[in-house]
Amino acid sequence: MATLSWTAAGAGWQAQRSRAFAFGLAPSLAVLLVITLVPAAALLVGSLTPLSLTDPAATFRFDDPLVNYRHLLEDGRFLDSIGTQLKLSVASVALQLGVGLGLALLLDGRSRILQASRTAFLIPMVLPPIVVALIWKILYTPDISPMHRALEAIGLPVHSLIANADTALWAIAVADTWQWFPFTMLMVLAALQTLPADPVEAASLDGASRWQLFRYIVLPHIRPVLVVCGLFRLIDSFKAFPLIYVLTDGGPGTVTEVTNYYGFIQAFNFSYWGYGSAIAVVILAGVFLLSWGVGKLGWNSHEHPGH
Amino acid sequence: MNHTDQGIGRRRLLAAGAALGAGALLPGRAPAQGGAKKYQGVTLNVSTFSAAYPKLLQQWLPEFEQLSGARVNFDAPSFPIYNQRADLELSTHGAAYDVVNVTFIYSSRWIGSGWLTPLDDYIRNPNLTPSDFDLQDFLPGALAPESGADGKLYGIPWTAEALLSVSSRFDLVQQAGLAYPETTDDLVKVLRAVNRKERVAGFVSDSHYGWTFVPYLHAFGGDVFRKAPDDLFPTLDTPEAVAAADYYANLLREFGPDGAITYQPDQVTQALKQGRVNFSDAGQLHLAQLGDPASSRTIGTLKFGQVPKGPAGRFPGTSVHGLGIPAGSKNKEAAWAFIQWALSKKTTARAVAAGYGSPARRSDIDSQAYRTRQVINGSDLARLALDSIEQASKSGHMKYRTVAVYPQVDQQLNKAIALIASGQAGAKQAMQQAQAQSIAELKRSGLSL
Amino acid sequence: MSTLGIEVSLQAPASAAPPPEIRLAPPRAARPARAGWLRRNVRGMAALVVLVAVLAPFLWLVQLAFRPADRIFDEALGFTPTLAGFTSLLQGNFVRSFANSLVVSTLSTVLSLAIGVPAAYALTRWNFPGRRHVALWILVTRMAPPIAFTIPFFLAYRWLGLQDTVVGLALVYLTFNLAIVIWLMQTFFESVPASLEEAAWIDGCGIWQAFWRITLPLAAPGLAATAVLCFVFSWNDFFYALILTRTQAVTAPVAIVNFLQYEGWEWAKIAAAGTLVALPVVIFTVLVRRYLVHGLTAGSVKD
Repeated sequence: MATLSWTAAGAGWQAQRSRAFAFGLAPSLAVLLVITLVPAAALLVGSLTPLSLTDPAATFRFDDPLVNYRHLLEDGRFLDSIGTQLKLSVASVALQLGVGLGLALLLDGRSRILQASRTAFLIPMVLPPIVVALIWKILYTPDISPMHRALEAIGLPVHSLIANADTALWAIAVADTWQWFPFTMLMVLAALQTLPADPVEAASLDGASRWQLFRYIVLPHIRPVLVVCGLFRLIDSFKAFPLIYVLTDGGPGTVTEVTNYYGFIQAFNFSYWGYGSAIAVVILAGVFLLSWGVGKLGWNSHEHPGH
Repeated sequence: MNHTDQGIGRRRLLAAGAALGAGALLPGRAPAQGGAKKYQGVTLNVSTFSAAYPKLLQQWLPEFEQLSGARVNFDAPSFPIYNQRADLELSTHGAAYDVVNVTFIYSSRWIGSGWLTPLDDYIRNPNLTPSDFDLQDFLPGALAPESGADGKLYGIPWTAEALLSVSSRFDLVQQAGLAYPETTDDLVKVLRAVNRKERVAGFVSDSHYGWTFVPYLHAFGGDVFRKAPDDLFPTLDTPEAVAAADYYANLLREFGPDGAITYQPDQVTQALKQGRVNFSDAGQLHLAQLGDPASSRTIGTLKFGQVPKGPAGRFPGTSVHGLGIPAGSKNKEAAWAFIQWALSKKTTARAVAAGYGSPARRSDIDSQAYRTRQVINGSDLARLALDSIEQASKSGHMKYRTVAVYPQVDQQLNKAIALIASGQAGAKQAMQQAQAQSIAELKRSGLSL
Repeated sequence: MSTLGIEVSLQAPASAAPPPEIRLAPPRAARPARAGWLRRNVRGMAALVVLVAVLAPFLWLVQLAFRPADRIFDEALGFTPTLAGFTSLLQGNFVRSFANSLVVSTLSTVLSLAIGVPAAYALTRWNFPGRRHVALWILVTRMAPPIAFTIPFFLAYRWLGLQDTVVGLALVYLTFNLAIVIWLMQTFFESVPASLEEAAWIDGCGIWQAFWRITLPLAAPGLAATAVLCFVFSWNDFFYALILTRTQAVTAPVAIVNFLQYEGWEWAKIAAAGTLVALPVVIFTVLVRRYLVHGLTAGSVKD
C-alpha cells in the first residue's frame, strides 16, 4: 500500500497531518462504536437475564446470570439447529463453489457474447433475497410450479420438495446456490484473468490435455481464491433468513430450522429477549471464530503488499 | 389585564354565538350517533389475519370512512405472520396499530400482560356507542375469552366457531356403502375405503395442530395441562396423548395429499372446494365458504358432521376471535368507532346475509337468514356448530386455552405432529420432546412448575 | 447481503498480458469459415443456453406478474398479458412501502458515504498503531448476523421512539453499509498514486483540500460503484425491516410478505410485487455494470 514519504517539513507537519487524518476517521469510529460495540455489549448483558416483555420489570434481574446458557446446553432443539446450520452451510457452499467454478471456466473468454453474459449472470446475486425466496416458493409449490408440471408431463412426478423432511434442506440449498453462485463465479473469473499465459502455452504445445492443464496449472492458481470464497460464503450463510421464512418456516418439523432462525423464533415470537440474546451471542461467537480464521489466512491484502 | 364583567360576558356571548352559528352550519346529526366526520384527518391502522369476516369488512370500508371521516389502512396477512407481528408490536406498547385482532390462542397472554385497552368505558359512553350496540347480544361464551381476570372486557368478538368435520365428496362414502363416521375407528375405516378414489385424497387439515389436533387429544383421554388453569404442568407425553398423536399423524401420513403438513387454512378450504380432498376438520369460518355456489365445485356432494368420538368421548374445539385496541394506540376513540361500526348489529347481519358462517351475536345466530343460509346440501352447519359450542361450555374442556402460556405449547404441538407425520420421529419420541420443550418454555416464561 | 464488495482486496494486480485463452489445438487456417465461427463461439452458445436455464426461474416470476388471475393455475403457456396484477398493488400499502424503500436506501447511502469516505481515505494514507485492529473490527461488523443487532436495536428504538421510522432504519443500515464503504473505497484510494497528492501538499494544499480536488475525482467511478452497492444492500434488506418497521416505515420487501396467501389472485400480486421490487436493482446492475465490474477489479490495477 502506498504510505506517504516524509517530507522535510518535520514534526509539525506530521502532527498536523495526523490530526487531519484523525479528524476524517473519527466520525466513522464514533458511529461504529455506537452502533456495533454498544449493541453487542447490550446483547451480552441481556443474555444474562431472563428478560421477557410480558413482565419486563420482574424479569430484568441478574440473580442467575448463566441461566440462559445452561438452558441452551440442555435445549435439544438448539443443538439440532447447529447441526442443521452446518449441514446447510456446507452443502450450499460446496454447490456454490462447484457451479461458480464451472461457469467461470465456461465464461472465461474474449468473445462479446461471453462478456455480455457475464453481467446477466450477476442477476441472481443482486436480486433482493425476498424476491429469490418468492421465486423458489413458486417453483416449489406443486400447484403452480412449472418445474413440477414439467416433471409430471415427462412421467416423473415429484412430491412437494419442501414438505418432505428428506428433501427440504436440499431444496433450500439449491435455492441458496442459485442465488449466490455468481459470487464465486466473479471471483474465479477475475483470478483466471491473472493466469500467466506462458506456462499454459508451453504446456499445451507440449501436448497436455485440457484436463491436465486445468489440474496442474489452473487449479493451483485459483485455489486460494476458492478457499477464501468458500470461507466468506460460509460466514454469510449463517445469515440465511428469507428463504427459510418464506419456504419452510423451519419445517417440516424442525428439519430446516437453522440457529439463526431458531433465535428469531425465540426472540420475536414469544418475547424471550434474554434467551434470544443468548442464542445471538452464541452465533456471534461462532462468526468471530470463523472471521479470525479467515484473517489468519491473510485476506487483508492491505497489509500484505503485492501477490 | 382589565377584565370587566362586561368584557367577560361579551366574550362568552361571542363564543356561544360562534358555536351556535357553526353548529347551525353542520348537517343535523345527533352527537349520540357517533358523530359525522368526527374523525376527519385521523388515519387508523387496522390489522387482523386474513379471514372471511375481515374480507367483508375490507369491502365495506369506504362506508365507514365516509361516516367517520377517518382513513383506514387495513392489513390482513396470513395467520402465523399476523400473530407474530401483532405479538411483537403489542409487547412494546407500540402505536403502530389502532385495532388488532385478539387471536384465540393469544387472548390470555395479551390481556394478562396488559397489552390491550379495556373497552368498558367506551361501551358505556353514550357519545361513543349508540344504544343499539347491545353488548348482551353477544354470546356469553364468546365474551368470556375476551375478558380479563379483572372482569374488564378487552375485545368484541367477531367469530364464535366450533371445529367440525366435513366430507366434500360424501357421494364416494355412500358408494362404498358407509355412513358418516361417528368414532375415531369409523373415521379410519371410511378413509381407508375412499382414499384416492377418483384421485381424491382422504384427509387433510390446517397445519395449526394446536387447534385441529386437540379435539383428538381429548377424545383419547389426554389433555394439554394437568388441570388448567390451576395446575399448568403439561401432560403431552402421557400414553393417551401419545396414542392420540400417533392416530392423528397417521391420518395425515396415510390419507393426506402431497405436502399435507404444510397446508394453510385457505389451502384446505380451496382443496375442499375443488374436491381434491375428501375429509377435513375446520371451523364454520372456513366451512361456510363451501356453500358458495360461485366458487365451490363440491357444493352438491358436501356433508358436515361433528368431530369424531374417541374412547373418552367427543370434545369439539371452539374458537373466538375479537377486535381490540392496543394499549399504546394513539387513536383509541377512533379505533372504538371502527370496532363498534364493524360489529354493530347492522354490519354483522349484513355479513350473515352474505354467507358469513360464524357470527358471535345471538340475534344473528337465531335469525332466519343465518339458519337457512347455513343448510348446505341438506347439512345443517349452524345446528352442528351450536351443539358443539354448547357441549364445550358444559364440559369445560376448552379451559386449556385460557392459559397465558398456551401459545408456546401450541407451537410445540404443531412441531410434534409435523415430526410424526413426516416420519422423522415416532409418536412417543416426538411427544416426549414436545413435553420437555414445553416445560422448558414455561419455565422461561417465569412459571414455576 | 453479499460480501460482494470484499472480493476487491483479494485481486492480484492484473498482468499486462491479455487474458489467456486455452486453445484446444494449434490454430488451423485451412478450416471453412462457418465451422470456424461456430467452433470459436461454441462457448458463447453454451453460455447463452446456460444463461437462459439459470435465469428461467426469475423470468418465470416476471411472466407470472402479467398473467390474468384466473389463468394463474393454468398449464398453458400462452395467455393475454394484463396489468391487473400491478394495478391491484395500487390499493393498500404497497405504493407507500415502495416509496419508503427508496427514501431509506437513499438516506442510508448518503449517510454511509458522508461518514465512510473520509475514514477510508484516512485509513489508506495514514499509518497509525492499531490500524490492523481497526480494519479487523470493521470487517467483523460486516460479518455479524443481523439478529445480533436487531435485539438491542429493537429494545433501544422502543425507548428512543425510533421504532417504525425511516431514520431509525437508515441508522441501522449503517451497521453494514459503513463497513462496505470503508472497505471498498480503501482499495480505490490505493489505486490513486500518492505522488499526485504529495505534489499538492508541497504546493501548500491541505490534506482534505488535496483529497477533494485530486483523489476524489480520480476515484469517482469507484465512488459511484460503492454508492450503487450501498443502495442495493439497503434496498435488499429484509430482516431489519421486518423487525423494526410496522406501518409507517414498512419497506417493499416486507410489504410483499402480506401477500403470501393462497388464493389465485394473490399469486399475481406476489409476482407483480416481486418484479417491481427487483426492478431497481436489476436496472442499476445493468446501468452500472461497467463500473461494477471495473469497480470490483479496479482496486487491483496499480500504477
